[in-house]
Amino acid sequence: MNFKVRAARKEDCKDISRMIMELAVYEKMPDQVKISHEELERDGFSPNPFYECLIAEVPDEHKTKDGYTIVGYVLYFYTYSTWKGRSVYMEDLYVMPDFRGKGIGKGLMAKVAQVGVEKQCVRLQLSVLDWNKPSLDFYVAKGAEDLTAKEGWHFLRFDGQSLDTLAKEAPKD
Amino acid sequence: MSNFLLRKAEPKDVSDILRLIKELAKFEKMEEQVILTEKELLEDGFGDHPFYHCVVAEVPEDKQSSDGYTVIGFAMYYFTYDPWIGKLLYLEDFYVMKEFRGSGIGSDILKVLSETAVKTRCSSMHFIVAEWNKPSIEFYKRRGASDLSDEEGWRLYAIEKNDLLKISAK
Repeated sequence: MNFKVRAARKEDCKDISRMIMELAVYEKMPDQVKISHEELERDGFSPNPFYECLIAEVPDEHKTKDGYTIVGYVLYFYTYSTWKGRSVYMEDLYVMPDFRGKGIGKGLMAKVAQVGVEKQCVRLQLSVLDWNKPSLDFYVAKGAEDLTAKEGWHFLRFDGQSLDTLAKEAPKD
Repeated sequence: MSNFLLRKAEPKDVSDILRLIKELAKFEKMEEQVILTEKELLEDGFGDHPFYHCVVAEVPEDKQSSDGYTVIGFAMYYFTYDPWIGKLLYLEDFYVMKEFRGSGIGSDILKVLSETAVKTRCSSMHFIVAEWNKPSIEFYKRRGASDLSDEEGWRLYAIEKNDLLKISAK
């Protein structure tokens, strides 16, 4: 099947938002999606974007039963390692179920890897849920190493009340 | 009265920042993995497109460290994006020299970063900690941090440059 990988445009945010929700459903956490295409538009397409996004598009004759031609996306941003410098972080990679097995996921990821290499990034990082075997296999086949297993890294977070409490106690200038 | 000052890092601080990065890496038992140079830190933090932001903790001259330093702590952070909740503040490194711990410096750094997160419309502050690093995990949990690896099963993966080149080849 023919498909094209290209940089997302502001008008693609409704499709991206649709697929973000599909991925959240797959990850069993749909109630955790709090933002809509409006925030995506504001945060990705202003002079100082907080993420970059590539989408996979199929020709009209292969559109989905609901009439969509945008069938996959990858959302990423740049991070910094104090040990090695510039890195790229792949936050979301998703292809609609009916379009899998055709090299689209591989194509999206190849483009992010290419962008990373061009920007002199030393590595690409991502996180995967421990039960997500198809994804774990996909990434490990490409050389991904589980740093949680190898080095013991855990993800931690301050949000909501805990973040507000800390913020209120910040020393004044 | 406070015996230390927290301020935004300036270009002149890169040599102190690199020194502290190496001290933290040594504590994390990964000292040989630090290949970053002062030149890269300068370009990447204070150039046209900053890849990171940094806060440093400084003490007065008369309180300098045993080896003569006045910059005795730092935190490096940047902004990331969660497609479910939007902007996040990501804490990359956070370190206070051993002889200056226990006087609230680390605590104040975390509060300043939290305030920055709230002011810049971030829903959350994320970071990673090594599971054997009990003192740090307790420091964060006492202040309300949740462990997403334990609670939701997230695992961190990395693909190094040589494999990236293979993936990106046509």
